[in-house]
Amino acid sequence: MISKPDSALIIVGHGSTLNPDSSAPTFDHAESIIQRGIFGEVHCAFWKEEPSLRQVLDCVESEDVYVVPNFISEGYFTRTVIPRELGLDGPVTRIGRHTVKYCEPVGSHGKMTELLLARAAAIAPGVPPEKTTLFIVGHGTNLNDNSALAAKREVERIAAMGLYGEVQSAYMEEPPLIADWATLASQPNVVVVPFFIADGLHSYEDIPVLLGIASESPGAASAGGVSVFAGNPYSLRGRTLFYASSIGTEHGFAEVILDQVAAFDSVK
Amino acid sequence: MNTLTAFTRWLENGGRTIGQIAITRSGEGWELRHADDAGELQTFTRWQDARTLATLDDAGAFRPIKTTNDLRHGWRIVLSTVAEVVRALDYFYPAMLGLWTADARGELTPTDLRDTLARQTGMYRITQKLTDEQAQALIGRQCSRCLKTMLWRIAPAQPITSLPPEKHQRAAFPLLCREACNLLVGLARGVVKEATSPESSTAAASPPA
Repeated sequence: MISKPDSALIIVGHGSTLNPDSSAPTFDHAESIIQRGIFGEVHCAFWKEEPSLRQVLDCVESEDVYVVPNFISEGYFTRTVIPRELGLDGPVTRIGRHTVKYCEPVGSHGKMTELLLARAAAIAPGVPPEKTTLFIVGHGTNLNDNSALAAKREVERIAAMGLYGEVQSAYMEEPPLIADWATLASQPNVVVVPFFIADGLHSYEDIPVLLGIASESPGAASAGGVSVFAGNPYSLRGRTLFYASSIGTEHGFAEVILDQVAAFDSVK
Repeated sequence: MNTLTAFTRWLENGGRTIGQIAITRSGEGWELRHADDAGELQTFTRWQDARTLATLDDAGAFRPIKTTNDLRHGWRIVLSTVAEVVRALDYFYPAMLGLWTADARGELTPTDLRDTLARQTGMYRITQKLTDEQAQALIGRQCSRCLKTMLWRIAPAQPITSLPPEKHQRAAFPLLCREACNLLVGLARGVVKEATSPESSTAAASPPA
């Protein structure tokens, strides 16, 4: 286990101005790491909430600072927004009294495959994987090709294991669309795992509507309505469908965050 | 001086109110509650509980900016140490203790709105078209609900004139605004889009996700 009592860790999340659940996993993982006493300081920072990326370095007392993006894909946010807002110009940036070390996002970690498989198995206990289509769902966007790459990479890894009858990636905003799941899937059972950081606007409110398991947005997960997960399994369009919570809510993500710090140190 | 030391000294010197939160001694420890509350309150004992208490207002609406003047009522948190109080306050008023300490050290550099908008990319690049008049109106409308002291201007020669003078004066425990928040930038996008597309009347109604 790493020990960095003289260093600070900043976990960066997207956050939301509309949905209270978007930032929750980032705070959860931070609390978990704080309780383990690994770093001298642990902070969260967000694009859309506070502490903001523009505020956080003013709050950090340690000189040595690790920044881990709690993002799934390597793309616009990890390459443009986070470096710009923090003032980074490379893997190591000297900013005032801080030396800031910019780590890989959590979604790039090799442990993602294992976490996705664990989540898929947990949501559909006793369901034979060889008679199941597993969907790994990403955001996808025409604006940034990298948004879909992470999901495609995980699908290739899982498909190579030969566990599931079929493994596919699908997206909200680019083909193959998750809204077309019933025509895309060939197996009688369908397991859908959102490759998202939080049960926020997209995975909790948008995708259930696209799947047809909700006729309209169920509202935020924390708002106290009937959980979309409570309806599992859904009998829909001749299939048995299981919808999982976003992968980023896995407790194992705290370990992945720490691994990304260790990985940064190992290549310096 | 670090934040914990500075805040401990502030408490020792009798500091007891931050924003809408009152801090009192509770035996050997400390109690936090809404400054307007008295009598029977729901009791919490973990600093982590502050996150949930800060998330929604009394009506159950999400508070994306935690320094708005709508902290929910009806709770108290009893904590053992000043370090736990600092952690709880980091949830109630994120970054505010850190910025307060940085300000005391002379290390806090505000960023004017024009500089904030100039570096935006993607869907927020359009905010660079926000006029000074639109900015004043938006700030007057939106920032009056926030308890932070504003340290930034629209531009070096463009002070903010749409808020009362006290919004620019440090309070006894100042909650400091070093730069326009992302919520304001999102709303600026809506203002510009509405102004440039008259038929798009809903653009300014809510910020993008």
